[in-house]
Order: sequence, then structure tokens, then C-alpha cells
Amino acid sequence: MLAGYDDYRRFHLVMFCGVFLCLLLSGASILANTMPEDAPILMSQPDSTKALAGRPTKRGVDTSIKIFPPGARTTITLFVTNLDLLEGEGAKAFRAELEDAQHFRHPLEIISFEPTAENKWVYALTVRLNDGIGDVGDVLVRVTRRGMTSNRVRLSIGHESKIRDDEGAAPTPNPIEPVRTENRVGLPWTGDRVRFMEQATFGVNSALELRLRRIGYSTWLEEQMEQRFDAGNAERYSTFPYPNYSPVSIVVNEGCPDAAKRVSCTRDNYSMYPLQNWFFKEALYSDDQQLRRRISWALSQIMVVGGRETVQSGRMLPYIQILDANAFGSYRSLLEKITLNPAMGNYLDLAISTKQNPNENYAREVLQLFSIGVDMLNQDGTPMLDGQGNRIPTYNQETINNFTKIFTGWTFCQNPSVCPSVTLGVVNYKDQMISNAANHDTTQKTLLNYPGATPVIPAGQTAGQDLNAALNNIFYHPNVAPFISKLLIQQLVTSNPTPAYVERIANVFDDNGRGQRGDLKSVIRAILLDPEARGNLKTDPDYGKLREPVLFITDVLRPFNPQSQAVTSTVVACNGQSDGILNGNTLILDQDVFNPPTVFNYYPMDYRIPNTPLAGPEFGIFSTGTALKRPNFVNQFLPPNNNPAAPGVVTVNINAPESTANAGVFIPCGTRIDLARLQTLVTDDTTGALLVDTLNRELMHGSMSSQMRNEILTAVQGVVSTNTLKRARTALYLVATSSQFQVQR
Amino acid sequence: MKENRRKFLKTSCRALSMTALATQMRHFGLVNALAQEKAEAAPEVEYRAMVCVFLSGGNDSNNMVVPNYDEGYNLYAAARSSQGLAIPRANLLPITPPSMGGQVYGFHPNLTELHGLWGQGKVAVVCNVGSLTQPLTRAEYQSGAPRPYQLFSHSDQVEQFRTAISSFKSTTGWGGRTADRTTGLNVGSAIPSITSVAGATVFSVGGNTSPLIVSPAPTPLNQVLTLNGFGTTTDEVARRTSMDNIRQQDLNFTMIQNASVETQKAINVSLQLNTDPVLTATFPNTSLGNQLRQVAKLMKFRTSLNMSRQIFYVQVGTFDTHTGQIANQGSLFTQVSQALKAFYDETVAQGIASQVTTFTVSDFNRTLNPGASGSNAGSDHAWAGHHLVMGGAVLGGNFYGRPTSNGTFFPTLVNGGPDDAESRGRFIPSVAIEQYASTLSRWYGLTDIDIPFVFPNINNFTGSNLGFMM
Repeated sequence: MLAGYDDYRRFHLVMFCGVFLCLLLSGASILANTMPEDAPILMSQPDSTKALAGRPTKRGVDTSIKIFPPGARTTITLFVTNLDLLEGEGAKAFRAELEDAQHFRHPLEIISFEPTAENKWVYALTVRLNDGIGDVGDVLVRVTRRGMTSNRVRLSIGHESKIRDDEGAAPTPNPIEPVRTENRVGLPWTGDRVRFMEQATFGVNSALELRLRRIGYSTWLEEQMEQRFDAGNAERYSTFPYPNYSPVSIVVNEGCPDAAKRVSCTRDNYSMYPLQNWFFKEALYSDDQQLRRRISWALSQIMVVGGRETVQSGRMLPYIQILDANAFGSYRSLLEKITLNPAMGNYLDLAISTKQNPNENYAREVLQLFSIGVDMLNQDGTPMLDGQGNRIPTYNQETINNFTKIFTGWTFCQNPSVCPSVTLGVVNYKDQMISNAANHDTTQKTLLNYPGATPVIPAGQTAGQDLNAALNNIFYHPNVAPFISKLLIQQLVTSNPTPAYVERIANVFDDNGRGQRGDLKSVIRAILLDPEARGNLKTDPDYGKLREPVLFITDVLRPFNPQSQAVTSTVVACNGQSDGILNGNTLILDQDVFNPPTVFNYYPMDYRIPNTPLAGPEFGIFSTGTALKRPNFVNQFLPPNNNPAAPGVVTVNINAPESTANAGVFIPCGTRIDLARLQTLVTDDTTGALLVDTLNRELMHGSMSSQMRNEILTAVQGVVSTNTLKRARTALYLVATSSQFQVQR
Repeated sequence: MKENRRKFLKTSCRALSMTALATQMRHFGLVNALAQEKAEAAPEVEYRAMVCVFLSGGNDSNNMVVPNYDEGYNLYAAARSSQGLAIPRANLLPITPPSMGGQVYGFHPNLTELHGLWGQGKVAVVCNVGSLTQPLTRAEYQSGAPRPYQLFSHSDQVEQFRTAISSFKSTTGWGGRTADRTTGLNVGSAIPSITSVAGATVFSVGGNTSPLIVSPAPTPLNQVLTLNGFGTTTDEVARRTSMDNIRQQDLNFTMIQNASVETQKAINVSLQLNTDPVLTATFPNTSLGNQLRQVAKLMKFRTSLNMSRQIFYVQVGTFDTHTGQIANQGSLFTQVSQALKAFYDETVAQGIASQVTTFTVSDFNRTLNPGASGSNAGSDHAWAGHHLVMGGAVLGGNFYGRPTSNGTFFPTLVNGGPDDAESRGRFIPSVAIEQYASTLSRWYGLTDIDIPFVFPNINNFTGSNLGFMM
């Protein structure tokens, strides 16, 4: 019925009307039944998987063309359907790529996206080839949106040739009315809810799952954001010693006079260990603070203070408390508090930057890393380009010089009448820094210039006035919204958000709907509820992020009722410090908690996955050197004969308490998990399917491929069914060590 | 660049087998890693290795190599003495590079061991190296001539030293691209031609090269990569088989594929590194000492691993001495000097001293003008700096470079002077990173034809060989 397609014809978009009327009568497409309901569908010819495509012309789309010429001047219009669009959602929401017969994948630039006039379910998406795509013959084209891939359709570039269609591919000639999938609350353990927990917490557990099912995401977010961050303050923050003498005294053992216990005394008082222990305890057990800790952890990787110089937990804690307290507050206020925090002042040298000896360190990093970045950005997070196609720097050395001047004069508060917590002779890491007028440069400064900015700060202001002016100058820069929004999305959801996603969040950053700028509460809510974050299934091959070491470990532990290990006979030995031993595991995976190697975090946020155009920040520390340490960590939990006296209970890092062999060291006893729940599943279904499907649902949000499922079933069935513990361990080992689990998608 | 990239792909396709070609493709990386095919026996090729020592954080090389003749030292002291950042003249370890017209210079007093190797002609200094997109004078710089992106920023300058491309952000490094172009010299190699003992960086990534990454000593070489927890019972063998099979599933997802490729590479290499060799030299138990010790152990296996060309990456820091520079940089120099000497001695013991070249790079040099005073004295981010090259094939005991404004290889040490980009002693490079790197890569095995592929901007500068290698 569509014989006319072979003839040379010029279609206006409106002319599709006649065609589609016929199509609509021809019944539902086969593919529509086999693809996820919220996936975009690329339209094909009626009788083949060849794309319905054409060359855009002034008068419409010329679909008579069968072979598109190679080269960057070639633009191609494809037709997409099954799209439930948000208001304003357009070209930036899509990515397109083709794969040639040699399996090279080429991203395609998206030129435009517009509705067709006659069928409101069909949209015209125009893409451009690039110079790297030669006369390659037939290729497969896909588009992706919100983490979902379309079907792939064929195009001919240069000449016609053979290429194998995807398995199960079928013609998709019919416009599809999108299914609205708003309400996902109700069914237990939906893929979307599990993914939500991965994004917003340190891992899934059944209590949280149930809570989310009952009250929904929005209410849960509200609930978590309303929790007093310092609820149970005594328990949560008070365990940190804040030594009241100079750390130099450690050398002469003043702080740990008992030689027999010096090693553990030093660890538990004068190292980063107590804070690391606290971090893992909060991540594993504090259900009421999950969201706050997760956001605080993300912020600690954006506004980095490393423990290398601060050394002691007690000195770092005030900084972490700032991140906790302001995780759902104002970014402007957060920026001011971190600027004046003593640990930051020490780390990036603001505390010693004076008019006489200005130090550029903080001035540079606050701009480059904590606020605006080095390139001018569009609202969607993509770099702005000048007429020659080059990036545009946000600032230059002159700007840094001026910010350096304006930040001079701040130092630690050592004056007991101003700061009551000060101890003479000890650097004050508790109270925010104060200014010393004699050390402040009061000359005129010229800061960032942008529309609406007041770049020139007059001479003669105090350090406090100048700081306020400088931070406002940064805060209102148009880069802040896309820069910070994208980093938070990358920390929580996906390494390569679409420009449309970044723009939606950046718009919320600019104005939360009540005229407030920089409201992190609204920003985080928007990130987690965005359609690109939500959905039961994500099929876009580039979607997601590698689980960083900390999240890999907590995500493996939290579903299985983790507990601090306490050895009954030597409770004192465990000393409340058990979970910190997990830091030994993240340390060898290059993530020493609160102790990144540089201000550029544990991994560079712009790290590219080799041989791809994709960002994969966490891959910066996933290497041949660390790859096997992940399965080895899982193995620690699941050795064949762990704790035979307590079946089902397996413990990581169970260490001997103090003994003659390790005198002076109270060794933390570790963390344990409980596999009894999985063992029941083995008993209930001896085929192993129930066990594997449960792990798929809880750890992989149902994304396990049938091949992977079969592989695990084979291994599980290789264990005699009466050995329920070994079957449970086998299945969990294979899921948790898989590359499929390493990637949160 | 686009043009170059295409040419590069075309040319390299001819040389490579289909399997090797596949590694260039986003989806087929695993084919190669999984196949681990042993190629036909390699023709006899002399072993050569380059060792990149990254002085992380930006080494203040103004205090590493100091003029030690009256006029030169006086300028240096005038710029640094009053804040306490100048090295006392009497403490400098004197060197007299023939290329500097007989003027005396001096090494930092803690570089004792390297001073000794300089005397034996095994260490050279390459002066005033930094990132450039084209040669620049002070006047040109100040009138806004094209320059590298984001000068004086850590992350960007580090990237420019690692990629040897300063005009745009490159996703491949010069180590990786050098390895790409020399695969023909490394036929049948059992492990990747680049090994990093300091994590993943873009330096080691090429178009079809990605590095082996191992932890430093004291971890024994046969324990750097191990997979624990598998016994010989039937069910454990079944679990292992399933684990290996799962790694070959779902490779159409980019991140899953990349995780699988890295894991597979680790497993393949762990099979090769099954013993821990004993070394002759004693390495200091320091960060750099332990990294170079691991490098030396891998070199000892060069024959059994069938390696004819190897590039190593190690890193030591932090040289970001905004404050406390005298103490911090001093102890770092001690570490560098002792570790490099031990490493050199080990290459002598292994009989490959003339086949191994070790060189330093860093983020940038630091401002001549100090950033604080007294015990706090430090310096801020700057630009061109001096670098050390060590090995039996180095034409040592001399300075190399390109003339600065004063006609010598060494900049004029004056804040706001003729070589300063601005006012605090941020020297404009007279040698581009590309020239420094290409001199090393030529020795390693690149030909004239390869050079523009590995260093696409090299033709903006005069000469790709600074002459410090035999």
C-alpha cells in the first residue's frame, strides 16, 4: 500500500497524513508488544526494518532518497513515535547514534526535533552525519531518551549493503499513542523503586522498600529532608575525640601514654579512622538519615577537603557537619560555610593568605571546582562555543589574582573571647575562621563579569564585606546552575545525562518556583524525580554510572541485614569501631573515605571511558589493579566455611581481638551479613530460580539478561541443593561480582 | 586534527590484524582481551623502555636547578631571599653544563645521588619546558596570542603534560599514542605495553592501547593481581566457569563492557605474573622507591613476557607547595633522588642501563615570586619548568632546550622580566611539551612518519628532536 515510497516525491510534514491514515487502520505493530512501554520507537518502512527517513528540504522531507551520501553535510530526518513529552522537551532530550557493519559506533549530532503537523504521535528528528562516517553501506540507527533506547532501524550510507538486524527486530511503521506510566507505587520491588533506592541511599533494604511503597517517593523525600540532621546528636557526632593538645605531642606519646595500647589509641583518637567508622555506620544503619548522608557524601566529592593535611577526625568533623546540615539548604550559604571552615582553610591555604603574602590556591579551586568550572556553559551543561568553535574560559589569571586579593585576611580563630571553644596552643578547627583587618587587601578588585554582575568591588571594604561580595559574584554567575546540577546528577544518577535533563535541573537551581536561587532541596528532589532518573527499565546502552567503591560495598551489604560484629567475649575489643574496617576495602579500591589524593576527588569528574566519547568518572579508579579486588571483597563475605557455628551468618574481616600476637592493638571486629533469608529461598525452590530471581530484583532491579540468569542457575545447580548456604553464597557471589552489577543502571 | 585522526586510523589499519583492529572499536574491545592470542614469534628487537616520573602537584623547578654564577644567582636571590625561599648558594651542588657557555649552575642540595649521576653523564636537564600551542614571546602573550587552555590550573596543565596536546582536551595521551605506533616492535607481548604503578591516567591511553595498572611494592609481583576464593571442587569450578561466562554477556552496554574488559585484562595478566623476581639493588622504602621497585621487577620479566618495548608511569607528590616549600620539597627531592638512583643501579645490574630512559614531568613550574614567607614560604602555580632525564642512552651532564629571550636555554629570573608571562615569574616555555616528548619517543622507536600522528601540533615548533638522546 506504500508503493509510492520508491518514487521521487517531496513530502511536506503534513503530507504524512495521508500515509498514516492507512497505517492506523493496519493494526498494532508487532514490536510495540515486545518493547518496553516507555521506549521511543523509530519508524520503519511497512515491510522492512529500513528506516522511514528522508532529507529535510525547505518544503518538507524528501523521503524518496534511498541512499544517503557520506559526509558531515548530510542531514537525515527520522521519525519517532511513542513519546510522552514534558512541556518544552525537545532535541536536547535525545541522543542518536549509528553502528556500522564493523561495529564502529558513531554519535550523530541532533539538529532539530519537531512535531509533524498531521499526527500528534509522530515527531521528526533530524540528525547530521559526521566526517568519521565514510561510505559504510547499511548501518543501524538508534535514538535514546531518558535512559531508554529505541528499536534500531537500517539506513544506507554511500551504498546499500547487508547488515544483520537486531534479534527480534520487526517493521515499525505504525504511529503509537504513548502509554502514560505515572503511577508506579503499589507492586513490591519494582525496578524503578530499587533504582530510586540506589540513587538516593546507600543501598536497598526491605524496610525502606516497604516504606517507599506505602508513602511514595515524594513523601519519603520530604520525610528525609525534614528529619533533624542532628537528631540523636549525642550518638551521631559526639564520639569524636578532639584532642586538646598539639598533635606534635603525639610524637612524645602524650595523648596515648599507655605504650601497650598506643597503636589502637592513636588510630581511635588521632587518625581519620573514627570518622571513617562513623561514615560506614551511618551508611549501613541510619535509615532516617539515608538521603542526607548520601547527599553529604556527594557534596564531599565536589567540595573536597582531604584528610591528608587535616589528619584527625575531630578536625574534619566540623566540615562534614556543614555538608550534613546544608545538604538540603541554600548553596550560597553552603559556599560561605565551607569557605570559612578551618579544615578547608588549612587544606586550600585560605587560612594563611594575607595581603602581604597572598595565596591563590582557594581562589582558583573555588571557581574551578566548587562553583563555575573553567568553561562557559549553556544552561544545559554543554560548553558554550565562540565563533571559531572554541570553548570560552570563564576566567583568567587576572580574575584569580583579584579573587585572591578579596579572600585575604582570614585565619583560625584563636581568640577565646570570640571563640569560646578555643584551647590555647591548639589550632581551632571547630569555629569558623575570622578575619584580621591588618592582613586584608582593601584595594579595588574586579571579579567575574556577566550580565547583571557587579564585577568591580570598591576599595576600602572589610574582609567580611568583601567575602560577601565575592561569594555573591560567584553565586549569581550563570554557570553555577548547570555546573553544580550536572555534578550532582553524575553523583546520584548517571554519568552522561542528556542536556535536557541537566537543563531541567539547572532551571530549578536558578529558581525553585518560589523565586529562590540555589535551593538544594528542590534541586535534589528534581534530580531524583526526573523522568530520566525514573522508570522500571533503562535500555540505553550508555545509561548509568559505575558504582564507586563505597557504594559498591554498601549496596552489597545493606540488603542482607548487616550488623556491626561484636565478639561476645571481647566486646571491648570491638570498641564500637567495627564497621570502619570496611574502609580497608574501599582504600585498596582507591577510595580512602574523606581522604582523596587531591582536591580533584578520588576520580576526575571528567574522566572519559577509553575509546568512547562517554564520561565515566568512577572508571578513573576502576583498573586492572583494582578490578579483582572487588570480587575479592565479595569473597571475604562468602568463604566456603565461614562461621559454621552460626549457619547463615557470614562476617567480613573477623579479626582476632587483642592477644599476645598483636598486643596493643584493639582490632575492629568487622561487619557481618545474614544470608538466612536467601537460604529459605533455596529450600522453597530447589531449581534455584527463586533465589536468582530475588537477587535480580533486589540487586539489579530486574535488569538481568536471560543469558546471565542461565549462567548463575547453572552454577547454583552445581551445588547440592541441601547445602543451602553454599547455594546462596554462589548466587550472591556471581551477582555481586558481575560487571552488570558494578554498573548502576 | 580530525583529518589526522582519520589518516591515523587508516594507516594503522593496514598494519594491524583484524583482531587488533577490533580493539579500536567501542564494542569489540573484549574480543582482543579474551582472545589473548599469541602472535607468531617476534623478530629479535632490542629492549627499550621509557619511565615517566610524574612530580604531582607542580614541582618548583626554580629551586631544583639554580644559577650558581654571580649575576644569575643574584637575580634568583633578589626574587626569593627576603621571603626565605632561596636556596643558600653554598648549599647548591655545582654543575657546569657545556651548552651554557661555561656558566656554573647548581642542583638542589638534596639531589645528591642525581648529582653523582650527572657527573657520570647519565643525567641531563631539559630547560624551560611547558605547554604551548605555538611559540610565544612575552609581548605576544600579553597581546592575547593563542595559548593553551586553562593555564595555571592543575587539572588542565596535568592533562596537557600527559596528552602533549594543549589546544584542546584530548582523550588519548602521548604514552598511549606512542605505544599505538610501536605495536610492530612489540609483537607477541604478553602484557600491555604500558604499565602504570600509579593508577589510571590519560597518559597511558591510546587509540588502541590501554594500560596495565598494578600496585607498587612491597606487594609482591605475583600478588598484585589475584582472584581469591576458588577451590578445586566441582561446584567451585562451576562457579568460576559461570563467572567467566557472565563476563562475556551484555557487552552492548558500554560501561558493562568496559568493566568486563578491565577485569578480563587483570585475570589474563595475573596468569602471567606468577612469581616474584628478586632484584639486585636496594630500593628505599618510599612511595617512589616502591613504585620503581615494581617497575624494575616487571623489567626483569621482560624476556619471559616477550616485551621489547615498555612504557611505565609512576607518580610522586605532592609538590603543590603553596606553603612550607623548603621542608616539603626538600624531603620530596631526597625521595626522588634516592629512588631514581636505586632504579638506575638496578638497570645496570640487569644490563639494560642504556635501554631504559627515565624522565620527569610535572603539572607546571611555580611562581618565582614566593606566596608566603618564613617557614610558610611557598609558591603558586606557574608555567614552564626544567626537567630531568636519566639513563645510559642520555647525553648527560648537559642542559638542552631552545633559546629564551636571553639567548640561552635558561629563562631570566626576574619577576615581570622578559620571559615572564605576567609579573610573578611565570615563565613562558621556550620548549613545548611536544618537543620534549617527541625526543624521548623517537629514541623509543617512533619514526619521522609517526611523529605527527603522535604529536599533532609538533609542526608548530622548531624541531622534534632536542638532541639529548643518543
